Amino acid sequence: MLPWIQHRWTSLCLLVAGFGTLMLFLYGFFPLKYHSGKLSSIDDLPNFIDGISIDGQQVYNSGENSVILMVIDGLRYDFVTEEYMPYTGQLLKNKSACIYVSVAEPPTVTMPRIKSPERKKEKAQWRRTINFWRDIFAMMTGSVSTFADVALNFGAPAVRGDSVLRVANARGRRTVMYGDDTWLRLFPGLWTESDGTTSFYVTDYTEVDNNVTRHLEKVLRPDNNKEPSFDFLVLHYLGLDHIGHLEGARSPKIKPKLIEMDQVVKKIVTAMQQWDRNGVLIVCGDHGMRDAGGHGGATPSEVLVPLVLLRGKDFECPHPVGPGPTVAQVDVAPSVAWLLNAPPPGDSAGRLLPALLPQDTRQHLYLLHVIAHHNAKQSLPTDTEFYKQFERAEKQFAHYLVTGQQSAAKISKEFYEESLEKMAAYLTGTTTEFDIFAIVTAVVMLYLIATSLLCVTLYSFQPDTRRRDSVSHHHQQRSHAGTIIAFLIILVISNFILVTACFITETKSQVCTFDPPWILAFLLLSIALTVTYFLIKTGFERIKDLSPLNDLNAIDYLLILGTLFHSWSFFGTSFIEEEHMTWYFFWNTLMFFVLVKTLMVFTLYVSKLWVGATEVQDKPELKLRMANVGVGILPKWVLLIALHRYLRTMNQTGDRWLFLPDTADWLNAPENSMYLQAHLVIGTLATLKICLGNLRHMNNIVHIHSGFTIAAVFCILCYRIASGALDTPLIAANWDPVFIVDIFWAILIAQFAFEFISYIGAFKNCGLKPIETKTPDSNKFVYNKPKAKTEDYFYDSMIEEPWNVDEVKLNFVRSASYIMVNDLMLIVILLMRPHNVIMVPSIYMTCVLTSQCMDHKLLDSKSIRKTDVVDVLSRTLVHMWIGIVFFFYQGNSNSLSSVDLGSGYVGLRAYCPARVALRMGLHAYAGPALAGALLFAAIAREAHSWQQYLKTVWRATNILSLHRIYAVAVYCIVATVFRHHLFVWSVFSPKLLYDFVATVFSIQALVTIAQIEMLAHITNMLARTFTYKSRL
Amino acid sequence: MFSLHNQLELRKVTISSLITCIYLPSIITVISYKGILYSVGNGSSCYVLALIFFAEILKSFYLNSSNDVHGKRNKVNKNKAGDILRGFVFMLCVKFAFFIGIILFGAPVLECHEETLMLSSLLTLLTIFPLILHTGVETSMQLLFGVKNYGRDTVIEMLVNNALMTICGAWLGAVVIPLDWNTPWQKWPIPCYLGAIGGFLLSNVLTVLKVSLMSGATKYPILNILVQLLNGCQISK
Repeated sequence: MLPWIQHRWTSLCLLVAGFGTLMLFLYGFFPLKYHSGKLSSIDDLPNFIDGISIDGQQVYNSGENSVILMVIDGLRYDFVTEEYMPYTGQLLKNKSACIYVSVAEPPTVTMPRIKSPERKKEKAQWRRTINFWRDIFAMMTGSVSTFADVALNFGAPAVRGDSVLRVANARGRRTVMYGDDTWLRLFPGLWTESDGTTSFYVTDYTEVDNNVTRHLEKVLRPDNNKEPSFDFLVLHYLGLDHIGHLEGARSPKIKPKLIEMDQVVKKIVTAMQQWDRNGVLIVCGDHGMRDAGGHGGATPSEVLVPLVLLRGKDFECPHPVGPGPTVAQVDVAPSVAWLLNAPPPGDSAGRLLPALLPQDTRQHLYLLHVIAHHNAKQSLPTDTEFYKQFERAEKQFAHYLVTGQQSAAKISKEFYEESLEKMAAYLTGTTTEFDIFAIVTAVVMLYLIATSLLCVTLYSFQPDTRRRDSVSHHHQQRSHAGTIIAFLIILVISNFILVTACFITETKSQVCTFDPPWILAFLLLSIALTVTYFLIKTGFERIKDLSPLNDLNAIDYLLILGTLFHSWSFFGTSFIEEEHMTWYFFWNTLMFFVLVKTLMVFTLYVSKLWVGATEVQDKPELKLRMANVGVGILPKWVLLIALHRYLRTMNQTGDRWLFLPDTADWLNAPENSMYLQAHLVIGTLATLKICLGNLRHMNNIVHIHSGFTIAAVFCILCYRIASGALDTPLIAANWDPVFIVDIFWAILIAQFAFEFISYIGAFKNCGLKPIETKTPDSNKFVYNKPKAKTEDYFYDSMIEEPWNVDEVKLNFVRSASYIMVNDLMLIVILLMRPHNVIMVPSIYMTCVLTSQCMDHKLLDSKSIRKTDVVDVLSRTLVHMWIGIVFFFYQGNSNSLSSVDLGSGYVGLRAYCPARVALRMGLHAYAGPALAGALLFAAIAREAHSWQQYLKTVWRATNILSLHRIYAVAVYCIVATVFRHHLFVWSVFSPKLLYDFVATVFSIQALVTIAQIEMLAHITNMLARTFTYKSRL
Repeated sequence: MFSLHNQLELRKVTISSLITCIYLPSIITVISYKGILYSVGNGSSCYVLALIFFAEILKSFYLNSSNDVHGKRNKVNKNKAGDILRGFVFMLCVKFAFFIGIILFGAPVLECHEETLMLSSLLTLLTIFPLILHTGVETSMQLLFGVKNYGRDTVIEMLVNNALMTICGAWLGAVVIPLDWNTPWQKWPIPCYLGAIGGFLLSNVLTVLKVSLMSGATKYPILNILVQLLNGCQISK
């Protein structure tokens, strides 16, 4: 299997395999039950029970009710006692109210940690809304939400599917909401009346509640018919939670707050007794709190919350006095829906609260049937025991309807309840259960892929001689057929291992169902397993000479260890939220290391110069080292550090300090628009200069390329003027930005096409002769060999290769890489926010300066003959670091809220998902993309021969993909370990999505490099067919 | 790295390190008992710096005292005032360099200057100041820029080691800042400040440990392994 490990694009293939495995992991991690979004209607109520007709709507009717849902944030189960809430306790004691233990699904709501000033408010709101989502979602839709619900509702966190409010609204009920405004955002347009309070100011625990209570008087007062003015009232009290966060559950402030809540309950109950209508009050917490305050874990004090049910008149709790039976949070939805005479919401998986079930046997059974029927419709497997139980219950119910036998009713009721319990468990289970088999398989697979990539990378680091030896050695040994047989045997073995794993674990995973689509996935998995096995095996056999790695210096070690360690830092949630801090820290350390090293070389050099170079043997070497960079490197480097410090202040990111004002805020203030425009213009013009500078690495016709570039930059400036980011006194611009952007694309494409065609040589005949080459090392190209050599084999030229193919290929790759860099820079400038435009020239300068300073020949005191391996290693890693650092400078973070949606619509008239996603992705990953492009351009620039270029690219791609897979593999472990963690939604899952996108982009980047190589070959072929003939 | 052949220097190194191991923890203990440990970043905690300043001067007297090469001593005495002045100017420069460096490393630019200044003063006091006291301005400058190698001078080796460990401590201290524990000691510059002190202390403890192990190793050769281990831990190149 040696050819595999030697192949240049093995790493790319492995990266793709890793991507597939990551998909498998995501499949296991984000349960794939999306909410169907089905809306239920009152006509859905079954009118036939096993063929016996029944008037569904009439039986279902619960009478006229007014439901009050009073949510007390952070109400823990042990708070509802006579000690804390005397009135409620009294009600419970004399059985006029019922208490249930309600189980919230962990993770519950997290603390709003951000006190948000104006601009960051949106982001903060959004983040918090995700966190709030789960509880309210459960209570109002009757189903447990998944991360997919949030991710699919990207940017607009409203509940799209069915909910109690939707069905109530459809039935013409009046719904009123007082309390946290998250409700209003989740269910927009479904409220008849509302007053939302914001809950960002955690220190405030009186005003938030007074804002709710002040409406009570009015809303509870019955009208002339002695009926309240609403059907469904939601009161959300936040004060208790705020106290919990501030001082913990043992705070002395808790008690007065609970007594205040108790007073509210009393007020409501007293009011309810004056109504003619039936009033129902449900008091519940959405989650509990820890003794230390805060919440979100899965401990009983956080997950168990009380649910107090109270009906206005003639209500006696059927349960004995005591802690009360256990219900689920999702049970609230169907109960409220029934009380409002509305059908259960479409995705509801809850049951009715037992105390609400009516005495009338017929209605009771019918309700049970409705719920069970509703659940059964949600694609339950029909071969399960509970489904059969449901069918049996239905039969008994029908029997009762026909005969009126009480025994049948009793049996039916039992069956229904049994079946309902199992159904609810199954339904919530499928939404919240992780597919552990898929997760574990994916993690193991990722590790194998990472190991094999490590082997490939290390193999590529070996010096040439060693590798060539092993090639020849190998070819003698094995035949082709033997390899295939070996492959097949291992394939069978890995298949066998997987199947055994399936059966031993008795998993319910989809992977092991052996359905046709999954069989394919299964086979791919085993093929990947086999390939990694062979790669690792070959790697262990063939990697013998790693001597180039002995030349690593301190900075290389910092780079390697920093990269390795960083992935493991994700075990702390703060290090995910504040990942930028880690990178800034590493990057600063690196810059100072380099500074110190450079300073040492510099002082040595200067002092030797000063003294007058008495040590003859030392001087030439030193001079050689300094000659490449010049004395100016030191001040330049210091300036670069200062520049980075400035860029760091540009965008506050992360979570904890997000609210702090940053330079971008200052620049965006209207009074500072001049500075903003200065940033924009300087950034754009600096990029123009850099692009023009890059043109010297392209082919001979520089002036035309300059024309293209200047036109493109002009388009960008016009676009800025048209979109109002740039004021011009000269032109009153009302141009169409979309049109300008179209021209911009056209220019870029034209430039590329021009370069391509000129390499084929098509312009030779049109008079566009390349300028004669003067200096030998310039990048001008000619297809024929130089004249001096032509003479030698003029006569053999028919047999031998008449052109210097490799050199032309190298030239083409060089100019294609630089076109890629230029185009990428221009596109990114177009997409960036005005204050971020300055990032683009900064990335370029950082990359160039860093490459100079980190040259091993400059820094290491001992002279090394061949530094190519360590140079590639350090350069690749450092470019990666630069990319990541700029990713964060630009204001990105590991939270979904920092994705800039605006950049997706640059130059688009209508929404087009693919284009918008592409733009958003490129904008977000501009830093890594540019740094990567510059890396490959630098490799192409410095290569002396086509072979060397290929080798360097091979090593660089290996390192890049190794890092990508390594990061993903480690992070998958982190996510698996913390899958029940409080922050799994707000921190871990978004980071997983970011990793996913980063993997996609890495593949894209490597494919681009592969395409450039391929284009080089194609051009060569085309040139052969065209120019060859035309010349001869 | 330390050599046994100069018993006198070795003893001086040990004793001065021991003094550090006693006085620094006592300062920290006292101020933490007073409950003002978390105000070390403020200007009001100047007295800590003053204490360290005097302690270092006393230590350097001890370190220099028996360095009795007569000619050298005369030379030092000749322009003492000028030396002191130059030392102060140099220290101010170093302090300013630290200040800029810390800000470039990520300290707040526009506010918290007082805190950053306190941190940079502490770093100056713990790193450069003992070096200046011991060797004078020129030599320490040369040491700083790596022109001169400290060779086999045990005292200077210890001082340079201390300085490096201090910087590393301050650097590592910054790790806890982004954590979301919301504790009072996560405020800027306390982790770095305490980290610097901790690094300095650790370096001194290691010195004492190493010297005692080395002297023990003459009797029990097995301890040499530990000495090798400690030598491996040294950061100085």
